[in-house]
Amino acid sequence: MNLRLAWLRWSGRRPAVRAWALMSPGAAWLLLFFLLPLLFMFGSSLMPARLYGGVDLGFTVEHYKQFFEPVYLWILWRTVLYSLACTALCLLMGFPVAYVITRAGSWKNLLVFLVVLPFWTSFIVRTFAIMFLMRDTGVINTVLLATGLIDEPLALMPSGLAVMVGLVSGFLPFMVLPIYSSLEKLDPSLLEAAEVLGARPVARFTKIILPLSMPGIVAGSLLVFIPALGSYVTADLLGGGKSDMMGNLVQRQFTTAGNWPFGSASSFVMMAMVLCAVFVYLQQRDRAQAMGA
Amino acid sequence: MSNERAKIQLVEAFRDGEIERRDFLRGALGLGMSVGTIGLVLSACGTEEKVAPPPPPATPTAPAPEPELGPIEGELHIYNWSDYIAEDTVKLFEEEFKVKVTYDTYESNEEMIAKLQLGGGGYDLVCPSGYAVTILVKLGLVDKLYKKHLPNLSNLAPIFAKTASDPDGAYTVPWQWGITGIAYRKDLIAAAPDSWAVFQDAANKGKVTMMDDMRDNLGAWLKFRGKSLNSVDPADLAAAKADAMLSKPVLKSYISAPVKGQLVTGDVWAAQLWNGDTMQAKAENANIEFAVPKEGAAIWCDAMMVPKGSKNPRAAHEFLNFILRPEVGAKISDFTGYGSPNAQATAKMATPVAYPSDEQMKSLEYQQDLAAGTAVWDRIWTEIKSG
Amino acid sequence: MTAVYLFLHLPLLVLVVFSFNDSKFVTWEGFTLRWYSRLWDRQDIVDSLWVSLQVGLASTAISALLGTLLALGLARHRFRGRTAVESLLYVPVATPEIVVGISLLLLFGSLRMQLGVDTPSIVAIVIAHVAFNISFVTIVVRARLEGMDRNLEEAAMTLGADEVTAFWKITVPQLWPGILSGALLAFTMSFDDYVITSLLTGPGTSTLPIVIYTMARKNIEPSVNAISTIILVGTAVLIWISDRLSRDKPLTSH
Repeated sequence: MNLRLAWLRWSGRRPAVRAWALMSPGAAWLLLFFLLPLLFMFGSSLMPARLYGGVDLGFTVEHYKQFFEPVYLWILWRTVLYSLACTALCLLMGFPVAYVITRAGSWKNLLVFLVVLPFWTSFIVRTFAIMFLMRDTGVINTVLLATGLIDEPLALMPSGLAVMVGLVSGFLPFMVLPIYSSLEKLDPSLLEAAEVLGARPVARFTKIILPLSMPGIVAGSLLVFIPALGSYVTADLLGGGKSDMMGNLVQRQFTTAGNWPFGSASSFVMMAMVLCAVFVYLQQRDRAQAMGA
Repeated sequence: MSNERAKIQLVEAFRDGEIERRDFLRGALGLGMSVGTIGLVLSACGTEEKVAPPPPPATPTAPAPEPELGPIEGELHIYNWSDYIAEDTVKLFEEEFKVKVTYDTYESNEEMIAKLQLGGGGYDLVCPSGYAVTILVKLGLVDKLYKKHLPNLSNLAPIFAKTASDPDGAYTVPWQWGITGIAYRKDLIAAAPDSWAVFQDAANKGKVTMMDDMRDNLGAWLKFRGKSLNSVDPADLAAAKADAMLSKPVLKSYISAPVKGQLVTGDVWAAQLWNGDTMQAKAENANIEFAVPKEGAAIWCDAMMVPKGSKNPRAAHEFLNFILRPEVGAKISDFTGYGSPNAQATAKMATPVAYPSDEQMKSLEYQQDLAAGTAVWDRIWTEIKSG
Repeated sequence: MTAVYLFLHLPLLVLVVFSFNDSKFVTWEGFTLRWYSRLWDRQDIVDSLWVSLQVGLASTAISALLGTLLALGLARHRFRGRTAVESLLYVPVATPEIVVGISLLLLFGSLRMQLGVDTPSIVAIVIAHVAFNISFVTIVVRARLEGMDRNLEEAAMTLGADEVTAFWKITVPQLWPGILSGALLAFTMSFDDYVITSLLTGPGTSTLPIVIYTMARKNIEPSVNAISTIILVGTAVLIWISDRLSRDKPLTSH
């Protein structure tokens, strides 16, 4: 007890010490079990490939050069487009859901759990279920044919649309949960006050709801966009495997192609791109906060 | 510059076992090598040690008497493909040999190799495909078998006793064999396919699929033009790529075994598929048939191997000998729908899969390790898949 | 809103319906319970569910705790390079899973920890899951913390609560939706991870996704649908109970 008090008294005057104490266990875990091994991989991306996986000693930038050939850049470009579209759709669908959940009173927890419930079944089983819904003889086509709305089954799958359905249903909670957690602290009386003061619904949304939920929107968008860049099973199963994404490329380098350094190099190019964007955003945010303070 | 040379010498000395791990670490840090590099070297050399076992391979002069394996101890850890063993095989073995078996499954050869390579595992038996057998042997990740403990090896059919990837039969006990051909719906497709050309026929647009694997896919197109499916000749591969690109708009998708469901429902009329999986689908829909294209196809034989460092090699050998019993082998193959390399077992199967005749063997070919050619294949495959 | 829930749950409905289908594939052949009774024979599926639950709960608990602390530290203290440190948080989100898996395999390999022999592979799996989950928790909690009022906490302390009490009574309840969201994401990701786990498992520590993915190479047997249905129903019951409990005592919490 005395120790605790002593610590509190000592650290109370040193906020930095306390902040670092809070951060150190998590930071240490990340350093040791994530960044350090990743550093190995970065090193390996600069070494010649060894047959059947692994690397040989030496230094080379050939793997980075290789990535900047058109065929690979094209894959990167397509991946970015798909991920952006997926993020936009998740935002469009996820924001209203998150908003409704925060207003749902005692149903709140239940609705949150319902959003994640599908994710406690295996991703691949859900993907197969989507295939079942969308294939030529699937539920959607059967229903449409039976009602006479169409004469020929629609070619819903495999297609870009099917990939998008798979991606969005796979990443939606990553958008809903952060938005929900930041909207949840929105004080309803604030909205009432605004209403009383005559603010129109649009103004209430743009002046109050949107700014307050911005951190959640940004966190959600990043949590959807970034992992979507690395997805690969969806494109294979729902897209017919005809248009590779970065995830497929990287996965294959570590498996059938046995070219680990090229797999690492492609990953690092993609990650560098993402992290630069994140860094710029965070810098802006902090600057804005500093201005506001 | 001299620093660079010193580093390389240091690493070589460590790799060749001239200096201890501790001395290597001290020297490496002294020379300013990064921690990451050191880690990589350590793990790379870890494999290297295994690649070159200290005692030279048995000298031809006086073959030492084959050493005995110790008794069965602890558990037996099997690492195999999913759905690739009869349901009661493991249970019967456990009861008879009083040993606990854990049976885990993997999805690709490469995943299994990576684990063995980087020191993960702890498995006593793995089941690579043909080309992966070669890789495991080359990397020194597997032990030779103790034939003394495998008297049932004599049950094997001669054509599978020694395969291209293990010419002396020193490392492997063949498990199942099969052919990668064409599964089709005889009630839906216009004519029974007898050629890989079915995947380029515009009449089948959106109704046919090929496997999502560069070896199977490009291999088929190489056979189509009468080439070896192990070719690394740029001209052959360019032709195969051209054929693959011709077929791409016709194909519904690149998909491997999960296509079975779509064959059963009729979403797909013809698919590149393994014979055994075709039989599993046929059990659900009698209109499904299997054809081997006239141009030829891939034949394969997966095999069991004992990884280096197995903690229970005796149990592993007993298991191998057990599955070589005719009735056990027959049950396994009846379950998987594939052929048994075991002649005695084939005789006991409910629906035996006939061995290919010498005539058929002329057009069938085993996939072999492409070694450095893999990179060329992968490049072409990426271009096909990303177009 | 309803449309979105429908979109999310329609595949689930299909999954549940086909757990009662009397066919190995996906054509409807009639009602059966045989895939449920088959789970008695597929001990591997049941065992792997158990492993998945252990890994999921352990890694969620650890990453929720460490991630929340990390978020608090980041939010409460401005220091030089904070932006850089925060950007680093996105590294685990941005790294392709196979790279994570291979890099950890390299790490454990170079430490000469033979997985499944010297180190129980379940420990390695938990370590890996925590490593990729911390970031997700931190990012979500951090979003919650942003702009959150510290006045309450300070007021409590002025009124004589010591810092730890203020933390538990004020900060944690305020943060709770963020922590809950982060933990849910973490559990979801851990429970469904295939690529990383498959590289780190050893004998007898296959998780449910491993059994399912390796099965998907050939054909996913409907007993997988059966166990998924059991998980869904089990979860739904748990949620319903906890919901009832929390509704019964709203008065005490205020």
